[in-house]
Amino acid sequence: MRTDWQGSYLDGRTAARHPATIRLMREGLEITTEAGGTRLWRYRELRQTQGSYAGEEVRLERGGELPETLLVPDAAFLQSLHEAAPHVGPRFHDPRRRSARLRWTIVAAGGVLAATIAIYLWGIPLLAALVTPHVPVAWEETLGRSAVSYLAPPERRCGDPVLGAAMDAIMARLLAAGPPSPYTMRVYVVNRPVVNALAAPGGHVVIFHGLLERTGTPEELAGVIAHELQHILRRHTTRAVIQDVGTGLLLMALTGDVTGPLAYGLETARALGELRYSRRAEEEADVEGMKMLLAARVDPAGLIAFFEKLQKEEGAQPKALTYLSSHPLPGERIARLKSLAAVRTGAPEPVLPGEDWSALIKRC
Amino acid sequence: MPPSGTLRRPTFHGAGGTLFGIHVVNTLLTLVTLGFYYFWAKTRLRRYLFGQTEIEGDRFAYHGTGRELLLGTLKAVLVFGVPIYLLNIIRDVLDVPAPVKVGAGLLSASLLFVLFPVAMVGARRYRLGRASWRGIRFSFRGRVRDLVKIVLVGSILTGLTLGLYYPFLLVKRQAFMISNSYFGSERFDFAGRGRDLFWVYVQAILLTLPTLGLSWVWYLARKRRYFWDHTSFGPARFSCTITGRALLGLWAVNALLLVGTLGIAWPWVRVRNIHFAFRNLALLGPLDLARIQQEAQRVSTMGEGLSGFFDSGFDLA
Repeated sequence: MRTDWQGSYLDGRTAARHPATIRLMREGLEITTEAGGTRLWRYRELRQTQGSYAGEEVRLERGGELPETLLVPDAAFLQSLHEAAPHVGPRFHDPRRRSARLRWTIVAAGGVLAATIAIYLWGIPLLAALVTPHVPVAWEETLGRSAVSYLAPPERRCGDPVLGAAMDAIMARLLAAGPPSPYTMRVYVVNRPVVNALAAPGGHVVIFHGLLERTGTPEELAGVIAHELQHILRRHTTRAVIQDVGTGLLLMALTGDVTGPLAYGLETARALGELRYSRRAEEEADVEGMKMLLAARVDPAGLIAFFEKLQKEEGAQPKALTYLSSHPLPGERIARLKSLAAVRTGAPEPVLPGEDWSALIKRC
Repeated sequence: MPPSGTLRRPTFHGAGGTLFGIHVVNTLLTLVTLGFYYFWAKTRLRRYLFGQTEIEGDRFAYHGTGRELLLGTLKAVLVFGVPIYLLNIIRDVLDVPAPVKVGAGLLSASLLFVLFPVAMVGARRYRLGRASWRGIRFSFRGRVRDLVKIVLVGSILTGLTLGLYYPFLLVKRQAFMISNSYFGSERFDFAGRGRDLFWVYVQAILLTLPTLGLSWVWYLARKRRYFWDHTSFGPARFSCTITGRALLGLWAVNALLLVGTLGIAWPWVRVRNIHFAFRNLALLGPLDLARIQQEAQRVSTMGEGLSGFFDSGFDLA
């Protein structure tokens, strides 16, 4: 075992570096400098702050905030130190354990992968499910108001009182079938040719005229409204915001730093990650919306017929895509709705008896 | 040309692979501790990066701890995060008279405005204060109030001149950051002038359209060069040789690496960035190390006033 080593001593008061000879003793290091004579550093007074990685010199510090420092360029010094003083234990890094560290790093990589998948599949949805019920309705209303002022600006809204009354009647019928909710629900018809409908948090259902035009009966529209009402009642937007934050935090933890070009890559990853969450929200709105229709004794065949119509139109008219593309696979979706509708008990009651639907929707 | 032997370049010895290994372990611990390990992870990373950086045969050392970083962030959340959050609720959600809403909005905006200089000074004070070379600590002695003044006056003038004052603000801020930085008892100095950067800035604006925005890469390179070239330490001064073309090449390859590996290559990208910066940086002239004495700033856990409160180690990163 080699006991004598060359290094440098820094006194912590000046920037001068003093060449030093170090001798490994059982109880400590004996350090000899040309000017300062000899001193003994006991092992238990020392801490090692560098030299745990390949290529680093060994750095030992002694003392409080502004310590004296000993630098030894040769990392083999550490191995001799452990041999000279076996009792020092993990206070000093042992280069012989570096291969074990590599193995642990590989295990950790597997752990990161497993943890990421678990957090994404279960952790974030669970967090969102726990937090969402505690978000005040007033916040959702604020968020919804600003979304509606953008999505359905007052000058584009259909102001026809007869159509408005019909919309309100459909909605009231659906809501009466369920438990009371803290929301004041409103429906707007917006004069745009898009085949789409959406729900803003806090109680706003927006129907674009393009979608209204394609409905053949009030039952078809009732199915769409029930779906959108479920988005509001199940607080899907709030949940999406929480999941969005969760995914962002997860990605931040994975990459460490979120700066520069990496930020754009992360944005894509986050958008992809949210697809799964939004698909699940749509499925839930489908299932619960169908239950709502059945409870309100609305004929579920209307909604199914409407989806089938849109699916057929898809090839001919790309506009119809808007409503379906942000949602689960249309074929799968229709099949699920059909199986849910099969459990219907009792005869349906017409939604707007005696109304001429095709004339009604032309009023805007 | 300076005589040989007086040109010093920093060297980085770190490897992307080691950095990646540190990052993997850090990530696992951060995930299983629900984020709490983040501050210790950051510290471990800095310790490694500082320890792998060498100039004049000696490496830097980082003395910060995860606990300090955690406490610093908690302070920031308490003094800025919570009040701004509450004020924003008053502004957006609560049913209160309009003047109260306006007042809350103004207060929140001004807190946010002050947060920036406080964070900048706090982070610099903390990071320099925890860095050493040859056992001598660096320190930052600038006061938050001075930077608030620079940023406040600078922002108003920038607004009044439709942005033309901005380079002057940048130079003033850089002067504040550099000339309050110390290594031991020796101060760094900054001799840049706003009007020099002004023309570079105007050029970048005028060339934005014809170059499809690429002129700003050249602007960034020139700004970095200008800042370093006017920074000195005692009789020695820094010299930077970064060019717009080299910077663009670096970024292009970095972007390819990151996109091609879905971000996994970032430790190697980080090493590339450091190598690039050091390759283009040198310290010219004599360095009288014997004159330099240890003069670390005592950092108390509690000071007077807001700035003192943060001086003890406030760092968001």
